[in-house]
Amino acid sequence: MTEYALELNNITKKFGDFTAVNDLSLRVERGEIFGFLGPNGAGKSTTIRMLCTLAKPTSGSALIAGYDLIKDPSKVREKIGLVAEKMIMYDDLTAAENLRFFGKLYKMPKQKREERIDLLFNLVDMQKWKDTQISKFSTGMKQRINVIRALLPEPEILFMDEPTLGLDPQTTFAIREIIRDINNNGVTVILTTHAMTEAEALSHRIAIIDHGKIAALDTPQNLKNIISKSDTSIFKTKITNLTSKMVEKIRSLKVVTALAQQDDNNLKISANGMGALNQIIDTIRIEGGDISSITNSNEPTLEDVFLTVTGKEIRDHVNEKSNILEHNSNPQTRVR
Amino acid sequence: MNITYILKDSYHIMQKDLLALRRNRESVAALIILPIAFLLLFGYIFPSATTEQHMPMGIVNLDNGQASSALVTQIENMNKNSGAMNIVNYSSVEEAKTQIDRGNVYGTFIIPPGFSNNLTNGKSGNLIVYVDNSNPQLSSSVESAASNTITALNGMQAEINVVKMGSTTVNAQSIVFPFTQNIETTIPGKSNYFNFLAPGLMIMIVMITVMTGIPEAISKEREMGTFDGMLSAPINQISIILGYTASLCVKGFAQVILVLAIAIIFFGVTIQGSILLAFFLLLLGIFSFVGIGILAVSSSKNQATGTTIVNLIMFPMMFLAGIFFPIQQMPWFMQDISKIIPLTYAADAMRKVMLLNANISDVIIQILILVAFGIVTMSLAVILFRRSMTT
Repeated sequence: MTEYALELNNITKKFGDFTAVNDLSLRVERGEIFGFLGPNGAGKSTTIRMLCTLAKPTSGSALIAGYDLIKDPSKVREKIGLVAEKMIMYDDLTAAENLRFFGKLYKMPKQKREERIDLLFNLVDMQKWKDTQISKFSTGMKQRINVIRALLPEPEILFMDEPTLGLDPQTTFAIREIIRDINNNGVTVILTTHAMTEAEALSHRIAIIDHGKIAALDTPQNLKNIISKSDTSIFKTKITNLTSKMVEKIRSLKVVTALAQQDDNNLKISANGMGALNQIIDTIRIEGGDISSITNSNEPTLEDVFLTVTGKEIRDHVNEKSNILEHNSNPQTRVR
Repeated sequence: MNITYILKDSYHIMQKDLLALRRNRESVAALIILPIAFLLLFGYIFPSATTEQHMPMGIVNLDNGQASSALVTQIENMNKNSGAMNIVNYSSVEEAKTQIDRGNVYGTFIIPPGFSNNLTNGKSGNLIVYVDNSNPQLSSSVESAASNTITALNGMQAEINVVKMGSTTVNAQSIVFPFTQNIETTIPGKSNYFNFLAPGLMIMIVMITVMTGIPEAISKEREMGTFDGMLSAPINQISIILGYTASLCVKGFAQVILVLAIAIIFFGVTIQGSILLAFFLLLLGIFSFVGIGILAVSSSKNQATGTTIVNLIMFPMMFLAGIFFPIQQMPWFMQDISKIIPLTYAADAMRKVMLLNANISDVIIQILILVAFGIVTMSLAVILFRRSMTT
């Protein structure tokens, strides 16, 4: 048994001129829950697709569960499970028929397959829905089936692309429980998310990924320490008569490293060095701004880390579906 | 690469696809409606073997002799019995022409003045058949009906003349018509257009099912996301192609049996040759078409493009393969094009087997061409398919 679950060496993926994943190198240990955190279009899904043999890297190499991704993709496939963003199941078949079909493709002996299907339906508490057609399920029910489908062949590594996107809080909670549960049984989990809370709640380690590159990689606590140990401070301020001119003035200050406008009145500012707060307040006052509140968060969140390392804000979209178009037109995630 | 696993996985994929089909009523309906619609459409829109009946036709008698009015009566009676033409009397040529222009009659007989006089003076009586040839097909029907009428009248008159000349010892008919004919055909009984159409139609329906089915199925899986489930499973990609081809074969065969049943029951089609050989040809046809479908889906990003490419290839094939019209009736350059279409050979072989009771050695050239075509397209398709799967 090799030491690492994943070993990526300089993985790059280009689509024409566009570089989706740029020279990615990292190691994930067996038994870890590893999170890729980043906004839409950061290259998370492309990375997962490459690691699941669904896309070929333009360059670089990787070992998945000890097998070479490029030279031995069929061995890799035997070791992994995939929970993709688009659910992998046939609407016209029942839940059990879906699992049975994939069980056959994984060459599971019949008796073992049926036992495992029973066990998994119990795990997600859906035993009585076993013989119901998928088309009659709610999104939450479908996602439970989507997860146990990936778990059916007892994978060593489970890849999950946005596993709780668009789910209600109850299902989100249940899915997270399952992830922890299977991880306790020794399964390595690689997940992507653009939800801070999700990454923080589940992952042992997090890679913050932006423009196909790792901006920071550490445990959630260590990532937060980047802020508390440095001179960087995160301010939240509410200005009743906020103008875009005011925002640009603050942004152009030398002490300000990142700025995110959260709505018509609220700003989140990452700033460096002594006297930063004074400078920011002065700028707002000179522009005629009316500050109704300003706070300095002592306990940094992962959101603050993201703002500091990428220079932009990631919004917590845990319970709303978003797409790239929305994302680009969203003034709150404007890149500095 | 383990052949047993490839075949097993193909079987599982086929099983899954057919199960999904059974659950989806709309898909089952589409599967049944397509061949029935095709059959009825093509069975009824083309001209039937017998010529048109009850064609409206005018007659204008400008002569006032005895012979001409006897002729008018004879023409009327003859057509009343045969039902070929419905004869309407007009008093002037102008009136008849107006009716032709209005589309009420297809043409008119005109008996010119002096017709009866010519006959009594030992000359031929000439009558004019005036035909509206703005529709070539109708005008040729009318022309042949009119000339049949005149020929029959000539025969009758000639026999009467022979009898009048006093040779009672001989058969008058054998003098007027010394030659007669009996036509015997390869297919016993009366042949009809549907006999010609059915074999080609069967192979065409299978072609449509397979060629549109492959891009449809694979694009759907791709867009739904289920394709990733299969591709990330430890199976050979060939299994996906084989599985879907097998599933489409089952669907195609179901349609063919339906077509055959309708053709036999409603259109009186008879099968002279071996059914087994016919089914083997159908399978071979599928083998030669499926590659084109896979090529189309591999070189397109979504279902719409894939379907467009397939239609672009399929439509010329349908009309140039000699399914609806004999290839021999096409201009030479079209005949050349039809020679590079696999459907031509499949339909030709199918017709020979079903109608002429040809055996395998009679259609071996067609079989070899289909096999070669299939091998070339399939090899290209597999290469392109594998490349398109991992972008």
